[in-house]
Amino acid sequence: MIKVVDVHKSFGKLHVLKGINFNVSPREVVCVIGPSGSGKSTLLRCINQLEQVNEGRIYIDGEELTHPKTDINAIRQQVGMVFQLFNLFPHKTTLQNITMAPIKIKGVDKEQAYEQARELLRKVGLMDKADVYPGNLSGGQKQRVAIARALAMQPKVMLFDEPTSALDPEMVGEVLAVMKDLATEGMTMVVVTHEMGFAREVGDRVVFMDEGLIVEEGLPAQIFDNPKNVRTQLFLSKVL
Amino acid sequence: MRNFVKLMLASLLVFVLAFALIGCGGQTDNSEQPDVATDVKKLLVGTNATFPPFEMQEDSELTGFDMDLIRAIGEVQGYEVEIQHMDFKALVPSVQNGKIDAAIAGMSITPERLESVDFTEAYFDAGLIVAVHKDNQDIQGTDDLKGKKLAAQNGTIGAAYCDEVKKADAATETRIFDDIGLAFMELEKGGVDAVVNDHPVTAYYLKTATDTSIKMVGDIFSAEDQYGIAVKKGNTELLNALNEGLIKIKENGTYDEIYSKWF
Amino acid sequence: MPLSEFTFGLGILDAIATSPGYRVVTNNFVYFLGGAWYTIFITALSIAMGMVLGLFAGLAKLSKNKIIYGLSTAYIDFFRGTPLFVQIFLLYFGVLPLIYDNDPLSSAIIALGLNSGAYIAEILRAGIQAIDKGQMEAARSLGMNERQAMIYVILPQAFKVVIPPLINEFIALLKDSSLVSAITVAELMHRGDLVFANTYQATWVFGTIAMMYLVITKTIALLGDYTERRLATE
Repeated sequence: MIKVVDVHKSFGKLHVLKGINFNVSPREVVCVIGPSGSGKSTLLRCINQLEQVNEGRIYIDGEELTHPKTDINAIRQQVGMVFQLFNLFPHKTTLQNITMAPIKIKGVDKEQAYEQARELLRKVGLMDKADVYPGNLSGGQKQRVAIARALAMQPKVMLFDEPTSALDPEMVGEVLAVMKDLATEGMTMVVVTHEMGFAREVGDRVVFMDEGLIVEEGLPAQIFDNPKNVRTQLFLSKVL
Repeated sequence: MRNFVKLMLASLLVFVLAFALIGCGGQTDNSEQPDVATDVKKLLVGTNATFPPFEMQEDSELTGFDMDLIRAIGEVQGYEVEIQHMDFKALVPSVQNGKIDAAIAGMSITPERLESVDFTEAYFDAGLIVAVHKDNQDIQGTDDLKGKKLAAQNGTIGAAYCDEVKKADAATETRIFDDIGLAFMELEKGGVDAVVNDHPVTAYYLKTATDTSIKMVGDIFSAEDQYGIAVKKGNTELLNALNEGLIKIKENGTYDEIYSKWF
Repeated sequence: MPLSEFTFGLGILDAIATSPGYRVVTNNFVYFLGGAWYTIFITALSIAMGMVLGLFAGLAKLSKNKIIYGLSTAYIDFFRGTPLFVQIFLLYFGVLPLIYDNDPLSSAIIALGLNSGAYIAEILRAGIQAIDKGQMEAARSLGMNERQAMIYVILPQAFKVVIPPLINEFIALLKDSSLVSAITVAELMHRGDLVFANTYQATWVFGTIAMMYLVITKTIALLGDYTERRLATE
């Protein structure tokens, strides 16, 4: 589904990704963990082309994103992204946030889009917040709306960039629950997270990154209970 | 980079110093020095230096017929004349409230102005003239002005004449500029059909302007149009002094000298 | 005692009503009101033109294309970096006659429109840049292209941010519109000028005109406050 081949990315002199090779199969849930500054978020942003790679290639569903002739907007429609800081559109209601892209880009009929949006709101447990502006939602509610917004484009892949890092502790659970449901339904997901419990329980595979490289990857049980690399061990001893 | 900063600082310093010097110069000019020249009285005269050949600015110097005239009068009457440029329409109010002692600016003696200020004896017979574009055959004189686009300078009797034409025929459009040069430019570019203005000024413009496409038509009219020097109402001392000076320079030939210099 | 105070008050009113300046103002009041309307008319059209120009120039200033960026920067720098008075003369007597048979009114609107466009461009640019980067990223991640993201996500938010500075610009432009008096546009200031030149009643004439400008600018400011409050509650 996603294939990342030898990707390098630098911000000025800072070499953030130093040759990443990484694959995601359909219906797979991959959790990316690692210390801050290890390049996890940058990798995710490269997969959605919010950052352009300096070297290497990225494929989604066989199409090369990094090719200059690729219509990136069309591909992005198939890749949902959830941000740490939600990035909801503050001038639009919950329902309008969710329906904007389907109506404006896909040309979906308004009524149909609204119906679909209500369905999504039910799924994330926010039926009663349809006409509320983001300013009046809690952090957890905002992130659930953001997930619904991404899902409205019916993506093949969902990317989560530390979706619970900006939340108050009591709200983390409601967001993770929605993500867990999504995983159960068979959505292909790449989740950059600090929630080790979630990674262990929901992830099909865990990837540990440090200093711009994938240091170790494998089944959650294997990584968490029996890490081979010293750096993985060190990191896990700090966070667990 | 270093050098650039130094250069900037140096030029800034020069700038500040220059301003300081100019400032000081201005101050010493304005400060009164009663010990030095008790018998030399100061005469602050206002003009509007956009009205050649009567008053204009050349090489940052105020010059023209009026300028020479008032300086000559000042000399024979023992005044130290200082001339200040301002908006034409601001001259009468400035005389009224004492900001200046007198105004000389090709200013016609009119009944309206006489309500606000006093005038010396007339020192120049001007009269109005119509100027049009060279290709214009419609307008041959004042009778043809009705319903046309007319330009003049604000506050002049030319402007007052345009208003009269407009009153007689509402289709007339009047375009009143703050200085006569702009009115001529408007005529040159075809924005108006005619400029109504004091004859000597229009004649001088045609004589000195290069590549002009303007001509004068018809006769000089409003022969009662005479220039005087305005002083504050009731300031008979100054009024008499100026009138006396006017007579003196006419008698000693200075007036004729100045006249032939400019006309 | 109260009676004499009363008659004293009447005396003041009487003195005002019979003063020549008062008569100048009352005789020309309708004429001045016409000028005020003209001022509003010119300013409104200039703002309309300035908004369109400003939007394009402001977006161009954010462009990665060097030529587009350079052109908009040159335009903005010129019209913000030179006096409006100079621009009016340059356009009226210099540039516009080369393009069409220009009249004072249209020239004035073009000059004021070009000038305000440059200021509005900077206001809009600042407003757009004030919107969090995450908004653009969220819109792009949903598959919108840059133009769609601008229209549906960034600009609607930017417009709220820029309302106060835009109102200030409108007020500044309304006051600056008095400068077109120099090319004989019969707006408020020009009419004041003409009446003053024949009556020399500076305080009365310009006092009246100042009050008229004040009423208009205050009205714009209040309308701005109202719009801002309405949008804030949304």
